[in-house]
Amino acid sequence: MIYLKLFLEFFHIGLFSFGGGYATLPFLYHIADVQKWYTTKELADMIAISSITPGPIGVNVATFAGFKTAGILGSLIATTSVILPSFIIVVIISKVLEQFKHNKYVRSVIYTLKPAGCGLLAAVGVDMFINNINIPGMILLAGLFFASLTEKRDPLFYLGVSALVGLIAGFFNLTG
Amino acid sequence: MEKTLYQIFKTFFKVGTLLLGGGYVILPLLQSELVEKKNWIDDDELCEYYALGQSVPGIIAANTAIFVGYKLKKTAGALAATIGITLPAFISIIIIAKLIEEIIRLKFIQSIFWGVGIGVVLLVFLAIKEMWKKSVVDKFTCWIFFLIFILSACFKAPPAALIILSIFIGIWIEYQKKIEHGESQK
Repeated sequence: MIYLKLFLEFFHIGLFSFGGGYATLPFLYHIADVQKWYTTKELADMIAISSITPGPIGVNVATFAGFKTAGILGSLIATTSVILPSFIIVVIISKVLEQFKHNKYVRSVIYTLKPAGCGLLAAVGVDMFINNINIPGMILLAGLFFASLTEKRDPLFYLGVSALVGLIAGFFNLTG
Repeated sequence: MEKTLYQIFKTFFKVGTLLLGGGYVILPLLQSELVEKKNWIDDDELCEYYALGQSVPGIIAANTAIFVGYKLKKTAGALAATIGITLPAFISIIIIAKLIEEIIRLKFIQSIFWGVGIGVVLLVFLAIKEMWKKSVVDKFTCWIFFLIFILSACFKAPPAALIILSIFIGIWIEYQKKIEHGESQK
């Protein structure tokens, strides 16, 4: 039953991803490994498209992955189930907000979860770097990286520049 | 301005539409919509909800929206905010997903994606850097970072298992502190 599987996979992403938009990526890569609904190459394309479309990137990728797996109904299920844990948890916490804020165990868990979420994303970052980048890609990445050191820019700036460089590199067959 | 469910939905729909390139721009967007234009909440409240949104699992932009929605009109408000912030992402992907299967075969589109893919790698690096600054504050958190990183990168451990592991570590260290504190009081 593909729909039930989709629901369970994306519900567990919503429940366990921690640390922002890209925090869903480790889970989506894990799904690519285990469920084989899409390849890591297809996932990389989905992430690229999600970065340049409106909306939180985690929602975009969930919709996309759901669509890829089981059409429009699949995307509806994936989107709903990735957001459902947030909804339930936030509504419950809102009801007991004061206790939540001052609870020592909550603070301690958040204190350990933050570096854990960062570690998970770092593993994805290394994986992306090793598996998907050729030599011209490294040069582009290095250029973007130095641009990011000089001043803080809008994410769309980097995506626009890299799209343009990609287009030009394509003419010279550098994109592999 | 009146806080009807429709108004809440519409406001977050607008925020969801303007969110591009990752959720990190949500704070200034919410500031202009909720604090300056609508006067629904003040700056301090917004910052608190944003911080809370990072303290619970899930997508930060959505979490923040749900907190604000609940504050405005309880559970129904939370639902209106959830649908509002999610719908633009859903619609735009549905429209694009069908199209993309066709155009992805074009050579110049593939070249653009190649470029954007590398841009995304940079954004992921920048996100890691930001998270590192906020989360790795001492030796202990540094250990947690490398423990989870190695288990994930080298041993391909399921991310959910690692998150559960970290939750247990968090509970355990607080429990240890309580015991030590209790003994020192005796």
